[in-house]
Amino acid sequence: MILAIARKEFLDAWRDGRFRIAAVVVVVLLGVALLLAWQQVQRTRAEHAAAATLERENWLNQGEKNSHSAAHYGVYVFKPVPPLAIFDRGLEPFVGTTVYLEAHRQNQAAFLPAQDATAMRRFGELTAATGLQLLTPLLVVLLTFGALAGERERGTLRQVLSLGVRPRDLVLGKALGLGLVLAALLLPVALFSAVALAQLPGGDAGGSWVRLAWLGGAYALYLAAILAVCLAVSAVASTARAALATLLVCWAANAVLAPRLGGDLAQRVLPTPKLAEFEAAMHKAVQEGLDGHSPRQQQLQEFAQETLKKHGKTRLEELPFNFNGLVMLESERLAGKVFDHHFGRLWDRLESQDRLVTWAGLAAPLLGLRSASMALAGTDFTQHRHFSVAAEQHRRDFVRVLNEDLMNSTAGGHHGGVADRSLWEKLPAFRYDPPTTAHALRAATPGLMVLFLWAAGAWTALLLVAPRLKPN
Amino acid sequence: MLETIKLTKRFNGHVAVNELNLAIQPGEVFALLGPNGAGKTTTINLLLGFLAPDAGEARVNGASVVDDPIAARRHIAYIPEQVMLYPRFTGVENLDYFSTLGGRRHTRGELLGLLQRAGLPAEAADRHVGTYSKGMRQKVGIALALATEAKALLLDEPTSGLDPAASHEFSLLLRKLAGQGVAILMATHDLFRAREDATRIGILLDGKLAGDYATNDIKHLDLEKLYLKHLRA
Repeated sequence: MILAIARKEFLDAWRDGRFRIAAVVVVVLLGVALLLAWQQVQRTRAEHAAAATLERENWLNQGEKNSHSAAHYGVYVFKPVPPLAIFDRGLEPFVGTTVYLEAHRQNQAAFLPAQDATAMRRFGELTAATGLQLLTPLLVVLLTFGALAGERERGTLRQVLSLGVRPRDLVLGKALGLGLVLAALLLPVALFSAVALAQLPGGDAGGSWVRLAWLGGAYALYLAAILAVCLAVSAVASTARAALATLLVCWAANAVLAPRLGGDLAQRVLPTPKLAEFEAAMHKAVQEGLDGHSPRQQQLQEFAQETLKKHGKTRLEELPFNFNGLVMLESERLAGKVFDHHFGRLWDRLESQDRLVTWAGLAAPLLGLRSASMALAGTDFTQHRHFSVAAEQHRRDFVRVLNEDLMNSTAGGHHGGVADRSLWEKLPAFRYDPPTTAHALRAATPGLMVLFLWAAGAWTALLLVAPRLKPN
Repeated sequence: MLETIKLTKRFNGHVAVNELNLAIQPGEVFALLGPNGAGKTTTINLLLGFLAPDAGEARVNGASVVDDPIAARRHIAYIPEQVMLYPRFTGVENLDYFSTLGGRRHTRGELLGLLQRAGLPAEAADRHVGTYSKGMRQKVGIALALATEAKALLLDEPTSGLDPAASHEFSLLLRKLAGQGVAILMATHDLFRAREDATRIGILLDGKLAGDYATNDIKHLDLEKLYLKHLRA
């Protein structure tokens, strides 16, 4: 019985010319979005590779100079674009892709792709993810609003129920049939995503296929929840028009209102400092210590006294190494503590904001889906933080090597001697291993839980509503 | 086969069906006459289990429509004033779908045969029903009653809006079904059709059965007089 109803729903939807047109438009849009994103990822990767090669050449060919000057010369490192950015670019356009590593400073990633975008960008970027998140629910609304309310209006519901069909079977059959229509529609998009990933050099890196499978599961949960909500509304609405109006309001609340309100709520409940305030506070902490009562000069003077005492000397010039290099090392160590504290707090706060917005998804499932989707695609904040930490670690290692060279350089007096290419070659190019699939799954768990709760709740509601289905 | 015992239904204090007692046996065609608002459609809705009675009970082939509405409906075919079908499906596809829902699977050949028995032209069976006239849709309804081998048929103004030829054709089909042992309850305003098709005629006024007559005992003119007399009473 359920299968017969599902089959009829499937055929009925396919035979509806309006639906076919809407479906073709959505599938073509999603396909084009995937193709464009695939090209963009390829282009960005090529640009990063070329820039990294040039950067390395510049570093190696910087000529002879004092090693501390080389630390100030600095290097640029580039954030790799995750393969699944072809599907969901997440925060990538809004967080930097390049970090400048130099002595004394922990810089944030710069060169935001969104900065290079035209004013049209403010209307949103069409990716396969945004298409599935925003357009597909609209398609589900168009597909389902009349499924029960329309049948009631036309009188076919009366005809069907008079045959002894259990309302629950009718609703489940419709859900199955309409679900199959959606699946048939989205199958080309899934296949296109898989082909795009397979054709992307290094597309299988970082457990991309496993992540893609999880992404499929997350979107299936989302659409299953939307489908159940739509059918439940159609079951209780007095007319198809009333069902459509209700569902369009729900769609707008989920797709347009919730993301804005979620962001505002997070900033209100868990505010983050403005960039200028953040940098000023960090600069102050570097100068005065984290407790505000340990001026840097005083700390370094005490360090000098301790060093002299430790080596049994009375003057810095008597030390068997360049004390200036040791001070640089100590200074970096103290500054590192400040950076870890301030950036740690900021990043923790940003992650807390993300968690809050994700759980706000209990009111609007899109928020949960966005969080899970970005996490699984490797384009969420936790994975940007992972890169920033790796870049900072590389900075500290590279500055340490240069300062150690300065410390061991007794020629040239206080400023040390001159280093050359042999030292520059000792410093390896930045190599970054993106987070594992396990990391992505951990980050995606709250969003997946929100989606699971939505799907479970929506289907329970639908099954509760079904027995009360009225023929008139 | 179709039975109501002191069946009562109220809407906001208004009694729509008032302690109605009916018993329609297999092969009987019971025409329920009455003005608008007399309670005819409410009675049918109660027998279909679409409405819950406030008192009394209704049974179809022994199954209570309140306790087991699904089982009761399994014995029923229902033909409303307008048989509603799915316009993007052909006649045979509609019949296939509805008869499957009614618990009977048929081959395409059988379905075409059923539509033919119901009087639908052969060329129409594979046409989308969006192009069907009302009479053709009613015939699909009859074919459905044949397909599900219903023991009881509930008809709500089935010939309203049909031209005389189509109406006559429909009557012949009804009599054929009754001849096969189907119990038929037909709510109608059409005194002529009631007199022609029914074996018994009931006059329903304010939800109460005001009269119950064997058709053989009354002539056309008598029926009209009888009906008007009840209305004026």
